[in-house]
Amino acid sequence: MAGLISRGFLGRRRPAEVENRLPPGQYLVTDFPVLSAGPTPHTPLERWSFTVEGLVGSPVTWSWEEFQKLPTQTYTVDISCVTKWTKLDTRWLGVSIDTLLKAVQVDPAGRYVMAYSDGGYTTNLPLEEMVNGQAFVAYQFDDKPLDPVHGGPARLVVPHLYFWKSAKWIRGLRFMERNQPGFWESLGYHIHGDPWKEERYSGD
Amino acid sequence: MVQPVLEWQAGRVTAIRPETRQTKSFTFALPKWMAHRPGQHYDVRLTAPDGYQTQRSYSIASPPERLREIELTVERIPDGEVSPYLHDVLMQGDELEVRGPIGGYFVWDVRLGGPLLLVGGGSGVVPLMAMLRHRAAQHSTVPTRMLYSSRSAEDVIYHDELNGMAAANDGFEAFYTFTRQPPAGWTGYRRRIDAAMLAEVIKPFDKRARVYVCGPTLLVEAVANALVEMELPIEQIRTERFGPTGV
Amino acid sequence: MDRDEPDMNTALMVDGNAVAGQLEQIFGRDMTMTIARCAGCARDAQLGALMAFIRGPGVVLRCPACQNAIARIVETPSAIYLEARGAAYLRMAPQG
Repeated sequence: MAGLISRGFLGRRRPAEVENRLPPGQYLVTDFPVLSAGPTPHTPLERWSFTVEGLVGSPVTWSWEEFQKLPTQTYTVDISCVTKWTKLDTRWLGVSIDTLLKAVQVDPAGRYVMAYSDGGYTTNLPLEEMVNGQAFVAYQFDDKPLDPVHGGPARLVVPHLYFWKSAKWIRGLRFMERNQPGFWESLGYHIHGDPWKEERYSGD
Repeated sequence: MVQPVLEWQAGRVTAIRPETRQTKSFTFALPKWMAHRPGQHYDVRLTAPDGYQTQRSYSIASPPERLREIELTVERIPDGEVSPYLHDVLMQGDELEVRGPIGGYFVWDVRLGGPLLLVGGGSGVVPLMAMLRHRAAQHSTVPTRMLYSSRSAEDVIYHDELNGMAAANDGFEAFYTFTRQPPAGWTGYRRRIDAAMLAEVIKPFDKRARVYVCGPTLLVEAVANALVEMELPIEQIRTERFGPTGV
Repeated sequence: MDRDEPDMNTALMVDGNAVAGQLEQIFGRDMTMTIARCAGCARDAQLGALMAFIRGPGVVLRCPACQNAIARIVETPSAIYLEARGAAYLRMAPQG
């Protein structure tokens, strides 16, 4: 429905100085909105693990302690949520997916990945969009341990796709032959989710 | 009874009244008004010139006995999107899209009877006030107690009206607790609502109380859990969570 | 209420009342008193009393007893999706 225009309501702003950094239909935020589909899991670190499984030679699992010993990188990236906010220059510390994959033999048929999380959340990604520095598992934000409300102890970050792809509370990656939809992709959201192409909903 | 389809209508603002530093009451005249049940809410939708839309739900503060108009009491959330517009931009005479009344779970009317315990935190008092105003308009004497948590006396919404209701001696009593700054000389509660406080206020009603709890999510969680531990039958407890304080 | 938020995510949770308007749009009647039986733990709860996570790409309604996702709602410009795999059934009074 078109809707009656509300006098004096301007909606959300796209400041001119950052206009070219905001994907279409997005507005700028400076805070960090909390989005979630369920309660915060609060898995104790001694019970936390990260697993790469599915179409791989043999599955690999890291404990929290082992994961902390993996080489890390710092990232400064812009993130865009499908709920229309974009946050610029977010600073993360994490382990590149490239680093994790060095420990695993991926079956050539395993071209797609299902990221899965504590609490049952899932999201799907093509492998080719996770490698070559495009994605990482972050456990620090702004030089501090990642807050559980933002996905701590660790979350996936895939900055070039809508932020629902950056699974909070991540626990592993499962390699698949076919691109199967995850939690939101199976209910009307776009299978790929590129904010610059405005791939919000299935059919976009 | 078949319900009419829920549809947006343009409500005209006929009055704006400040209640506290953070809250104002807005009266909307509705072309398609229908009687609500106390506790129900309306959705309010804003549309920008570029087509951007956003909407929020606000509890109705007025009783259904007030015909052809509704009053919504809205807390101004500093970083919010809709409430600052309502507080700072909206003027008498403006038109705004609303739809309602909505909801059938968190409702009370005199037919449901009592004894009634209303527990509110902050602007969570709004739907409870619709119940109390309805009760008063119906000259009901259903035994009713309200436990209302605020930061300070200045933050108590409808304070004078509540005092007036309590003075009517028709079976209504109000209990306040102040979590940050109690008024000078205050001898009542000065802490967050807890199990001991609830037990004191509910005492004359015991397990017969019909309880409505509305406020920030963590307050509602705490109160609901305490009531269940007191073995109050769960079907007598109705809750409405507002989300976090200040968001 | 004045309270230190132990977990902002929990504090952001609301209940099914918050999506009463959306449910009424879908079903053409008030749904908050409709009973959902959780497919996970078989507990009954009114839709108005379910845990609701509404700040995300869609709405997730969860069982207050076991937190199982009872239903999800997504509104796109061209469709409304309602998935309710987590409900064994919905039970409501007949209309009319």
